[in-house]
Amino acid sequence: MRRERLRVIQSRIAFVLSTLTALFGIFWLVFIIGDVLIHGIGALNINLFIKDPAPAGVEGGGLRNAFVGHLLITLFATLIGVPVGVLGGTFLAEYARGKRIAQIISILSDIMVSVPAIVVGTFVYAIIVKPLGHFSGWAGAVALAMIMIPVVLRTTEDMLSLVSWTVREAAFALGAPYYKVIIQVVYRGAATGILTGILLSIARVTGEAAPLLFTAFNNSFFSTNMNEPIASLTVSIFQYAMGPYESWHTQAWAASLMITVFILIITILGRLIIKWRYKK
Amino acid sequence: MTGQIEIEAKNLNFYYAGDIHALKQVSLSAYKNNVTSLIGPSGCGKTTLLRCFNRMHDLYPKNRYEGEIIFQGTNILSNDIDIINLRSRIGMVFQKPTPFPMTIFDNIAYGLRLKGIKNRSELSGKVEKAIKDAALWDEVKDKLNVSAYELSGGQQQRLVIARALAVEPEVLLFDEPTSALDPISTAKIEELIVQLKSKVTIIIVTHNMQQAARISDWTGFMMLGELIEFDKTDKIFTAPSEKLTEDYITGRFG
Repeated sequence: MRRERLRVIQSRIAFVLSTLTALFGIFWLVFIIGDVLIHGIGALNINLFIKDPAPAGVEGGGLRNAFVGHLLITLFATLIGVPVGVLGGTFLAEYARGKRIAQIISILSDIMVSVPAIVVGTFVYAIIVKPLGHFSGWAGAVALAMIMIPVVLRTTEDMLSLVSWTVREAAFALGAPYYKVIIQVVYRGAATGILTGILLSIARVTGEAAPLLFTAFNNSFFSTNMNEPIASLTVSIFQYAMGPYESWHTQAWAASLMITVFILIITILGRLIIKWRYKK
Repeated sequence: MTGQIEIEAKNLNFYYAGDIHALKQVSLSAYKNNVTSLIGPSGCGKTTLLRCFNRMHDLYPKNRYEGEIIFQGTNILSNDIDIINLRSRIGMVFQKPTPFPMTIFDNIAYGLRLKGIKNRSELSGKVEKAIKDAALWDEVKDKLNVSAYELSGGQQQRLVIARALAVEPEVLLFDEPTSALDPISTAKIEELIVQLKSKVTIIIVTHNMQQAARISDWTGFMMLGELIEFDKTDKIFTAPSEKLTEDYITGRFG
């Protein structure tokens, strides 16, 4: 009898503790997002999207250059990072499965995931910006791609490893060569997982400012030339938030809101794709 | 009932990576349109032997065969054999159902497409025939375009059999095909195997001695990598010549 009561009490304590910690976490999350929402929505106006920045100290202007630059950098980072990550993960999970080299690369890429983004920025500065002598959109895309690659690579490897070996053997037993087994059977089985990994990695890099500071730098003018410095939302937020003008602060809030919304959309998109695929 | 030999192992030795001697001097013949079952305690090498017939062991490095497996007059262990072609002639069904992550239709069509058949009506015809041959048609005819994962375990296993049948193999290897299934699904698969022998030669590994007795014409009893006795199923289960076989089938060990 006493023991049963004790168990009930223990269970209550565990319940209360876990609920409280969950609430604690959610509180800050709601606080941050709410703050961005409140300040951001008030600051939104059409000029933000269709006008380029006004000269310093002058009211008005927008962040059209930063929106376009940000999309370009993220797009090219994805185009570089995803193929490398997916193919690398395929190598580890399929061709090098169980081999020492695969284990070493896996561990290195786990370390890469936790390398501070600013270190990646300075690294790309040293290997691309310095030799070329100028900041460029490409350097920014490469820096973001380098942050994406280990994430995509590890997710791909993990997702491919989850596809059971007997399914591969069944495909082999029908006379399929290995590359067809991978493309037609294994990738299909792992597709949703890999896609989620890709979307998460895009969400991850799109909020980065540090690696862009040393690579894409910034540009007050509208530009789609990836060979030149190019503006991005995150660097603009950094610059505007630190700046002395009230109008800059407002625009920084609006830009923060837009990035948050963008990440939210990517995440929701990922979930929808998963749902849609499972329905089929 | 003896008839013609379809596939035959001759003094077959098999070594897993690290020189583990898994099959020792195994000689066994599977007769055309007969069911041959392999029984024996766990780890006796029956699955290893089965996987020699479609060279499944080639998927893993450092596995080594010695001896011969003669399939319709050709030694399939020789190096110049086209393994991909061999595997489309000798199909395999595994212990756990292995549907691919695609629709029921695409699952069955997979092997056909590998063979280069693209014509839609030819594909449909062959797919339908394979599903009917696997006694699954009535259950799936209205949902060929849904994911194969939506079928039950027993249906998935028949789907996999249909997939193997679609490419019209001459031999079908079964590796404990019912050990993950309930008794009703098991009965359906057993019935199916007996029906199928008019089309293909069947070799089946089973843990279940009653199953071997029910469905097979020939039975091989294996232990520690050796084929202890190979004879007609009736003979093995009523009057085995080896003491070890008798001990095993009467449940004295294993």
